[in-house]
Amino acid sequence: MIDPHIELEDLRVTLGKREILRGLNLQLRGRTVGLLGPNGAGKSTLISTLLGFWKPSAGTARVMGHDIRTEARQIRALIGYMPENDCFIANMPAISFVRLGAELSGLPAEQALERAHEALFYVGLGEARYRKLGAFSLGMKQMAKLAQAIVHGPKVLILDEPTNGLDPQARTRMIKLILEMRDLGTMHIVVCSHLLRDIEETCEEAVILKAGQIVHYSNLAAERAANCRFVEIETEGDDGTFADAIELLGCVCSVTAGKIRTVLPEGIEIRDIYRLAADRDIQLRRLNYRRDSLEDIFLKAMETREAVSGRL
Amino acid sequence: MAVYKRTYKAYDGPLTSPVWRFLALQRYAFRSVFKSRMLDIAYLGCFVPPLFVLCTLYLNQNASVLGLVGQKAGFIKVDGVFFLNFLTFQGVLAGLLTAFIGPTLVAPDLVNGALSLYMSRPFSRAEYILGKGSVIAAIAGSITLLPTMLMFVVQSSLVGWNWMLDNFYLAGATLLTSAILLSVLTLLGLAMSALVRWRIVAGALILAVFAIGKGFAAMIDNVMRTNNGDYIDLQHLLNAVAADLFHTSPAPDEIPVAAAWATLIAACAVLLLILNRKLRVCEVAG
Repeated sequence: MIDPHIELEDLRVTLGKREILRGLNLQLRGRTVGLLGPNGAGKSTLISTLLGFWKPSAGTARVMGHDIRTEARQIRALIGYMPENDCFIANMPAISFVRLGAELSGLPAEQALERAHEALFYVGLGEARYRKLGAFSLGMKQMAKLAQAIVHGPKVLILDEPTNGLDPQARTRMIKLILEMRDLGTMHIVVCSHLLRDIEETCEEAVILKAGQIVHYSNLAAERAANCRFVEIETEGDDGTFADAIELLGCVCSVTAGKIRTVLPEGIEIRDIYRLAADRDIQLRRLNYRRDSLEDIFLKAMETREAVSGRL
Repeated sequence: MAVYKRTYKAYDGPLTSPVWRFLALQRYAFRSVFKSRMLDIAYLGCFVPPLFVLCTLYLNQNASVLGLVGQKAGFIKVDGVFFLNFLTFQGVLAGLLTAFIGPTLVAPDLVNGALSLYMSRPFSRAEYILGKGSVIAAIAGSITLLPTMLMFVVQSSLVGWNWMLDNFYLAGATLLTSAILLSVLTLLGLAMSALVRWRIVAGALILAVFAIGKGFAAMIDNVMRTNNGDYIDLQHLLNAVAADLFHTSPAPDEIPVAAAWATLIAACAVLLLILNRKLRVCEVAG
């Protein structure tokens, strides 16, 4: 089994008198992990705690096996962080900005310069690398932040709202870059985002936080790999036996509010459902391919009161 | 121009020593500070008085030149008072430069929220303060400590080694006075820059700490007929410590030297506390 790159053990963080993170237990192994949650759920606090900005009030966390309580410096050497906020060193050209980041991570000046060029070319800012950051558009600034986060070759890359404020074109470019970096296999990526679509497109695992607790974990990669086809059917003239008939085909069925939801296994096609309905003289009023989207999962998780604990 | 292939690979090359990593920050800070032409001119201007004094030292021992104006060699007494006055003058210039440089170091990082970029790397707040502070210390030191030491060396070479041995305490006094002056200026420059993020106001505040402190001190001393007001006058405290180190006779109502030292150390501690409080990464929980 792959060692987890991030482990949380009853992690609690209290800021002022308020407990922000309330006993998080988690082991993350996926190449890309999505961190979801409404405002105030504790996503940024969790990231800040992993980076050592906040001290845990109880419990601990480990990043690549290093404890955040005792080895914060080693952890920071392994992490690349792209913050959510605008965080630019004023009046600095992009190349100097990225190079400084590399040097502070310990790269010698010459290698830092070389890597800064490479990172800026990689994120698509090669032509603009001598321009001052103040003159960059929002999309370019996001890319510059990404470049400084990857310049030193981190093992764990934390992206806080990477597509924030991007136009559709720039967003697509950012998502493509995240997928590319994931496929390179040299780093684990944690994406913290409000945008469910971003998480769905880029992540293998999704963790949903609510009020400082983990309320849902979803292995998106496993769900995708299952290759199940979810179908939602509405019928007319059904005496309640149509669902049983579908189950006889080998499908798993559930009936809620007059709608039949079923998963079609390998070998069963939609035309088999039509044929079955025709044989039984049942009208199909509606037939949709439908599976629980991340949005459904998220909304369900928001209704959940109890936290999920144990192995996630 | 180098051609870069659009690719990404992990870095597995050598790393620099964490001990000296703050020098990278210092280098970038130097570059940004000296972008200002006004500062370049002001900084160069700070070397005019040392140049004048060095020439004076030379002429002071040049009997043939002095003979032209009817003076004998050594007509200017080069002792603790001479060194103290020179260091005090250069110290004032260093204070003015600090008011100019200090606000450009920390405030822009705080305004732009750049601290999270520094602190998310294997780089501590102490290293950040060291990196930024060393810029003020180096600039202020180059116009206070270096010229004064140079004066000592030049005077020793002109007068002879006996003079150097007899007045060796002047070198120690210069070193120690400069150390405390640079510590106060560095911490004051950084703390005010962290406290007030608006550059002009931060610069004014640095000067105000000296000016207002002096004004209040004079007011307290006059109203209460005491010298306790001197404890809030940073310049007075520095002078009191320096006067003792340079073996000059203190004023009759001078505050005790030990108390001046203690107050300066306390002031530095307060400035460090301000920095500790202000230089924090504040990622708002979203």
